[in-house]
Amino acid sequence: MNLRKRMLENLDQDIRDHIEMETQDNIERGMSPEEAHYAAVRKFGNVMRVEEETRAVWSFIWIEELVADIRFGLRQLCKSPGFTTVAVLTLALGIGANTAIFSVINGVLLSPLPYKNPQQLVVIKEHDSLPNVMDIQRQVRAFSQGGGINVEPMDYTGGTEPVQVHVGLINAGFLETLGAQPMLGRIISPGEDVQGGPRLVMVSNHFWQNYLGSDPHAVGNTIHVDGKPYTVIGVMPASFTLPAEHADVFVSLMVRDPRAGAERDLHFMHTYWRLKAGVTLAQAQADMAAIDRRLAEQYPAEEKERKSQLVPLHEWLVGDVRPALLVLFGAVGLVLLIACANFASLLMVRAFAGRQEWAIRAALGAGRGRLIRKALTESVLLSILGGAAGLLFAQLGTSMLLAMKPEELARLSGIHMDTRVLLFVLVVSVLTGIMFGMAPVWISARAEVAEGLKESGRSTTGSAMGRSIRGILGTSELAVALVLLVGAGLLIKGFSRLRSMNPGFNSANVMTMYLQLPTTRYSEIPKRTQFRRELLTRLNSLPGVQAAMVSDIPLGGNYVGHRFVIDGRPPVAVGGEPEAQTLLVMGNYFPVMQIPLHAGRDFTPLDREGQPLVAIVNEEMAREFFPHEDPIGMRIRWAGATGLPRWMTVIGVVGDVKHSGLNQPTDPAVYTPFSQSDEAWTRFMTLAIRAQDASPGLVEQVKKQIWSLDGQIPVGDVHAMDELIAVSLAQQRFNMLLLGIFAALALILAAVGIYGAMAYAANQRTHEIGIRTALGAQRSDVLRLVMRDGAKIALFGIASGIVGALALTHLMASLLFEVKPTDPATFAAVAILLAFVVLAACYIPARRAMRVDPMVALRYQ
Amino acid sequence: MSTKEQRERIELLQGTLDLLILRTLLLGPVHGHAIAKAIEFNSDEVLQVEQGSLYPALHRLIRRGWILAEEGTSENNRRAKFYGLTPKGRRQLVIETSKWEKLAGAIARILRPAKQGGES
Repeated sequence: MNLRKRMLENLDQDIRDHIEMETQDNIERGMSPEEAHYAAVRKFGNVMRVEEETRAVWSFIWIEELVADIRFGLRQLCKSPGFTTVAVLTLALGIGANTAIFSVINGVLLSPLPYKNPQQLVVIKEHDSLPNVMDIQRQVRAFSQGGGINVEPMDYTGGTEPVQVHVGLINAGFLETLGAQPMLGRIISPGEDVQGGPRLVMVSNHFWQNYLGSDPHAVGNTIHVDGKPYTVIGVMPASFTLPAEHADVFVSLMVRDPRAGAERDLHFMHTYWRLKAGVTLAQAQADMAAIDRRLAEQYPAEEKERKSQLVPLHEWLVGDVRPALLVLFGAVGLVLLIACANFASLLMVRAFAGRQEWAIRAALGAGRGRLIRKALTESVLLSILGGAAGLLFAQLGTSMLLAMKPEELARLSGIHMDTRVLLFVLVVSVLTGIMFGMAPVWISARAEVAEGLKESGRSTTGSAMGRSIRGILGTSELAVALVLLVGAGLLIKGFSRLRSMNPGFNSANVMTMYLQLPTTRYSEIPKRTQFRRELLTRLNSLPGVQAAMVSDIPLGGNYVGHRFVIDGRPPVAVGGEPEAQTLLVMGNYFPVMQIPLHAGRDFTPLDREGQPLVAIVNEEMAREFFPHEDPIGMRIRWAGATGLPRWMTVIGVVGDVKHSGLNQPTDPAVYTPFSQSDEAWTRFMTLAIRAQDASPGLVEQVKKQIWSLDGQIPVGDVHAMDELIAVSLAQQRFNMLLLGIFAALALILAAVGIYGAMAYAANQRTHEIGIRTALGAQRSDVLRLVMRDGAKIALFGIASGIVGALALTHLMASLLFEVKPTDPATFAAVAILLAFVVLAACYIPARRAMRVDPMVALRYQ
Repeated sequence: MSTKEQRERIELLQGTLDLLILRTLLLGPVHGHAIAKAIEFNSDEVLQVEQGSLYPALHRLIRRGWILAEEGTSENNRRAKFYGLTPKGRRQLVIETSKWEKLAGAIARILRPAKQGGES
């Protein structure tokens, strides 16, 4: 404050001058200078205390007034608990929902990845083979570092029972690219990452704690992974996690699997790269394109169609969830908008109700600034209360979101409320208070004092201005609510379509579990076949159990595709053959999964090794590749295989299965018997077990059977098939639930807002209605009078809402499953629902108005 | 200053200092020391102001908007703050004076009979 500053400046100088003048006077009276000074000081009193007291005069001026305002504001709020509760709750809902969503967005989209200079990290979308990765490492100029990883489950048998661990098969450069520093020991050097190199392993912190007992001298120990001894050379810190994969230990791919590592067309490594400082993504992409061309020229058979796309790591990680989160953020912003409109309309009603008080205060000489401050204090107070309550809601909401978050969000676990979020809430809530608190203040402050006094209560029609503003607020609330409801409606419709989607099998009462045969003891295919056959025999002898196995279970997340050639068709260029999903089965897989057989016959136990090779295709395959002929009896073989061609005869056609997700298209698929396969990857299998009741006891029984055959085989990924379906629906479910909740919030808030405005308006017109009734108006006339306002709001609100929704819903097209963003049925349903809600909100005050006794009304106020 | 002199002087009542300051400033703006001198002089040196207490009082009056302070030059050519009445202060002086007169009158009325009784 200026005055305060000016007055306190040079205070000590003023006092010194004063004492000096007194001294001078004393000298003139004949005292000695010393005596004169002493007397002056004594007469002045304690200088320090005087200064303190003088400062104290000024110090509390602001705070005093503020405290008075706050106390007054609180008293006012306490006097009308209904208004306060509704206003605070309105804001709290808006702010709470916003904070919760912002927390998630903050954690997923805004927080940097936990790596050194994460903005430099990129991935190549396409998987690649080790020889290619090494060629890129050698030739690329845009990257400073890079490397690849492929995670394979393997068994670790060092503990009490065999467990499955995730082994990261990497090449030198991978860990360095992510900036990983080992906590103990070291990481593998390029000299050791060679064919025939030493068997070395780096373990994760989690593995070190769980299986090595957090031994500080673990480096140098030997552990057995997949039946082979590896020397521990490093332990990673707890803070190190892979961006997308999960791995317990890291070993060199070249050392572990030299044959697979040397195959150029075995594209299975996922690669991470670090851009050199100053290199742009576009430059790196150009560099990669040049390398792709060179590799294609050099290895035309394997690499003819190379196209490596670079994507920033962060974008690659959150790309899937970003549209959903942004739509949700937009939606929740709209909820806040409605909440604020409601808040504003509440404050407005209050301001008009208190207009007389304001006029009296102004007449008594209260400064306009002081009045505005008082009003602002009240609205800011409300917004702070709302913000605080909102914070509570936000805490609740965030934990709720985390509890139901989909798999894609689980990757980034850094979601919590932090200071940024807190700040966001505070700013939003206080700004809301100031912005919307200002509107009524402005109107009140502008209102002529005399007018306010004149209108001393007996207003016949209510202030036209206030009514039109409330009408506009109600209309916009309705419009925004309609946009949200349409969005939610579209998602709900899409989700129900998705849910009613036939996955192609019956998931009820089916358990699945994943098994893998160690290469050391099951290197030959006959041994694997023998194990499988024996296991299925034992499992099927359990009472009430039907068991079969497949290489990759639907919705399990794995997929193998092979290129194929059809016998008798014109030859296709090498590398250009069509691709089909490849599945190996044993046992009565189709009956167990209840996948219908549409033509031909199922496999029988006679379709085994040494017998003619057979295959069953799905309908999609039949449709796409045998559109005008019967696929049964046709012969196909895998492309690129060396040696004698292994022609398989198609013996049947089965129904399509949604393998990669209910919202994904079905690919052509070929099923063949496990026992007739000659391929290396057939070590994997997933058991599909249909039982009368899928109880945990069943899992234990099955494990016992497996371990009675081989006690060294780990069992992993035990899931009920229903669970896999639920997981595959999780993202859509999450979107729908959240948007549904927001839309419901919006609907409630808008309904409350419109009801409040209507009830207030009707109440204001009690006098007018009384006169009309006294003059002979019928109850239906009164009803029409009150409902007319509501009908206007409904009409304009719904019309502008539909326009808004048409403009906005296309933003969420990528979230919708088989529903157009302009789905007319959804639009119509929502519009009717809202019209109904508005009319209901008006009907209650209208009914009250109809019952008005003219005598009471005329005496009213 | 002797002890006798001190005994004859009267300490100011709470709140009366404000009134005296306002009254002093009615004649025109003066600086702090001059106000103290004027109060002492006009009361025939009966009213003893602890001069320091003048300053919190002056600031209090400024805060209430009853007086104003401006920079000026004192008689011996020094820069000093001069305090002057505002219109509001003038009004307040009237109110305070009448309040004081009422109070003084009332006290006098209460005291008078006792005094008379003592004489008779």
